[in-house]
Amino acid sequence: MNARDTSAAGLARDPVPAGLIDGPFHARLAALSQARAWYGWAGCAAPVVLDQVEFEYFAIRNAASLFDISPMHKYRVSGPGAEAMLNRLVTRDVARIAPGRVGYVVWCDEEGMVIDDGTLFRFCADEFRLCCQEPMLGWLEDAAWGFDCTVTDESEAIAALALQGPTAHAILKAAGLDLSDLRPFAHRAPEVGLTVSRTGFTGDLGYELWIAREDALPLWDRLWEAGRAHGLRAVGHDAVNIARIEAGFPVAGVDFQPAQAAERLHRGRRPRELGLERLVDFGKGHFNGRRALIKAEAEGPRFRLLRLDIAGHKPAQGALVYHRKRKEVGHVTSGVWAPTAKRNIALAEIRAPWGTGRADDLWAEIQSCEEGVWERRMMRARPQAGAFFRPARARATPPADF
Amino acid sequence: MSRAFDAIVIGGGHNGLVAAAGLARAGRAVCVLERRDEIGGMAAEGAFSDGTPKPRMAHLLYNLSPAVLADLDHDRKALFETRALPTVCLDPEGGHVVVAEGRPHFADGAPHPEAGPYHALVSRLARFGAILARLAEAPPPQLAQGMTDLQGLRRLGTLGALGWDFRRIGRDEAREFLRIVLSNAHDVILDEIADGPLAGALAADAVRGAWAGPRSPGTVFSLMYRYARGGGAALPMGGMGAFCAGLAARARVLGAEIRTGAEAAAVLVEGDRVRGVRLADGSEIAAGCVLVAAGPMTAMRLAGPAQFDIEAVRRLRALRAKGTVAKVNLRLRDLPEMPGLTAGQMAGRLVLAPSVARVERAFDPVKYGEMSEDPVIEAVIPSLTDPSAAPKGGHVLSAIVQYVPHAPRGGWTQAGRDRLLATTLAALDRVAPGLSDRVAEAEVLTPADIEALTGAPGGHWHHAEMSLDQLLAVRPVNGLARYRFGPAGYYLCGAGAHPGGDVMGSAGRNAAAVALADGVAA
Repeated sequence: MNARDTSAAGLARDPVPAGLIDGPFHARLAALSQARAWYGWAGCAAPVVLDQVEFEYFAIRNAASLFDISPMHKYRVSGPGAEAMLNRLVTRDVARIAPGRVGYVVWCDEEGMVIDDGTLFRFCADEFRLCCQEPMLGWLEDAAWGFDCTVTDESEAIAALALQGPTAHAILKAAGLDLSDLRPFAHRAPEVGLTVSRTGFTGDLGYELWIAREDALPLWDRLWEAGRAHGLRAVGHDAVNIARIEAGFPVAGVDFQPAQAAERLHRGRRPRELGLERLVDFGKGHFNGRRALIKAEAEGPRFRLLRLDIAGHKPAQGALVYHRKRKEVGHVTSGVWAPTAKRNIALAEIRAPWGTGRADDLWAEIQSCEEGVWERRMMRARPQAGAFFRPARARATPPADF
Repeated sequence: MSRAFDAIVIGGGHNGLVAAAGLARAGRAVCVLERRDEIGGMAAEGAFSDGTPKPRMAHLLYNLSPAVLADLDHDRKALFETRALPTVCLDPEGGHVVVAEGRPHFADGAPHPEAGPYHALVSRLARFGAILARLAEAPPPQLAQGMTDLQGLRRLGTLGALGWDFRRIGRDEAREFLRIVLSNAHDVILDEIADGPLAGALAADAVRGAWAGPRSPGTVFSLMYRYARGGGAALPMGGMGAFCAGLAARARVLGAEIRTGAEAAAVLVEGDRVRGVRLADGSEIAAGCVLVAAGPMTAMRLAGPAQFDIEAVRRLRALRAKGTVAKVNLRLRDLPEMPGLTAGQMAGRLVLAPSVARVERAFDPVKYGEMSEDPVIEAVIPSLTDPSAAPKGGHVLSAIVQYVPHAPRGGWTQAGRDRLLATTLAALDRVAPGLSDRVAEAEVLTPADIEALTGAPGGHWHHAEMSLDQLLAVRPVNGLARYRFGPAGYYLCGAGAHPGGDVMGSAGRNAAAVALADGVAA
């Protein structure tokens, strides 16, 4: 029998599913999908867009959005040695993340190159959950060797939804969940089996809800019902991606190469090169890559991921960036027209010294095709210090009702 | 905290003592902590029940570094005395071969037909070995750069970066060196001489202490190391104990303090810098510099995995160290005859390895967790050379028996040890009939016993296999190869570091030099 012939396989036992599998909310997402546009996210069928990207984006910014983040990898780290293990893993001081808090963390290889970033939930003194984009079980098991803790992959067992947008809090209230005093980067279990964190990937007011996979659909229905009067829409990747670029969040594999997935030399990037140096605490004792990072601090960064405000309105995705229109000094990693900021924005990796000190006189070479005619234009690119979109409502506690 | 030292050396084996002497000579206050009640580690002396001394594990010096001896002022004021021993290649058929000064002849005085080719081979190994020996006297070449950029890889391609200095040898010799250095002892030996006891003894020297047979790649590298100084062996007068005592005495004269019965429980680290050692009894000794002569894994555990990068711990966990050497120590009521050998010849280094093929076959069972039925043995009867070796009469026979598994299926039992003794005696009886009837007392140390006694990982002679992936710039592992071991002020100075074991003392000497160069606060 041909090894690929699976016609008889199901008779004996369940075959390993071929292709993408359904996530915990697939039944609801499939029913809503007008666009029928799916992409693979960690092996799950995830929506690129469900209806129209514009509708979905404006739901995120002006009302509320529901986005299935279940394909994220989730790892439980528990035991008396969990804090010490995580403190050796990540660059910031885990001891300073209190129970009930969430920390944004990055972790590096021995050369100080970023492996991935993610959110670290602390439940109590010796219980944590690490959520991230890249599969990390093998690395975490290596990291846990010699520490009194266990690492459990919860990626399959836990379903998660991102409820983001100005009316997100009102929807939770309508659903019977009172979280008005939950501060940004805090989490709580308002009901048994349900954890809600005030976190998200849009830079706006928003929450992430974590629940056992078998309870996923009732949670969706409950939020959906509560959201009827608050403009709630299910959204796909494309809308969320515009929002995260506006918020200035880098994504592994897009804005930088995760060190363990990069096969070529010198493709890794250090936290400072991604603008994440605030997450590195050299004073807390040893952590992975610390010695290499201390050396690198003396040498200075080789690159810098900058937020650029680019003239015109043609998205600069993939554009090369030049100094004085002549010298190529970097490239755009994520570029998009930001409807709320009403600017043409981009994240771009710019080489030192242009990216690190003299970030002036930068130009993005934008190529566009209008009805069969290619045009190439040099557009002024101005680095910007803060996020393109950072409303005060994102941080107000209690959140205002909309 | 008790009195502070500038440096602490954990482990009172020869490398620890050499490191301590090196630091003390530079005026640093040094304290050596030895877990057991006697110093020496794998070179420690033991005694039979009647008080007759025995070389417990190591029994000869093959390769003690001249640089170490010079540092210890051994030339001006001898720390210990040695006698060079000829090598006797035993032949169960009776055609024993004696090798002295690199020239073989039959034990009965007849010329050996392959004396010429043998001498040429051994001389070449010595010339090539000298390249490696120079390398052994310094920290290994640094390849950190070489592994990560193209330019470094190109440099590596020329091997210049490995510190292999070819200027002293001609182009043809350099080509020959490169042809054989990574190859196997079986091919290189049998290219030059026919298989038999003479070839077998060379093969045995290539694999002694290793989890490798003569056909394993990299065994020529070990052979070059061993033959860099001619391949001879020396017996310390007064036993290995006198050798260790000599090192310890020199270290003490230089100002080092040596504490026995002092087990280090943890190396204390603060802010990525060593600040002292906590002993098993809970007391602490402060020092800004700690050198560990134990195995690499032990050194890592003492400071704790939190002080090391995840990759480093992963590599250390994967380090291969499966000892294959057992030790059998016999006290004999009197000496049997060895047909074909004179009493003087019996005093030599007796190598029972009748052919290269039989050494390779002896290696086969250990791959499957079983011991050789026809083992390779290196035996010495120190009491024939050194009257103090058996002060109460009788004789002592010390045998290194290979290949014996570190972890046989089901673990080591008394029955297993008995079988090991019986196998050893049966093999020796074939060249010395009646030997087993003269045994008054026997001690059997399996690799597992050696590990329990010394802490050597896997009971391994070199603390980590001397294979090509664990040598030079990647010994013990990539990233920790130049004695510096994680936190600032922490060093590995044992056989697991470059250039390995064999009672060379170079690892201890080099580590002390690196620590001093880093600036051990005085």
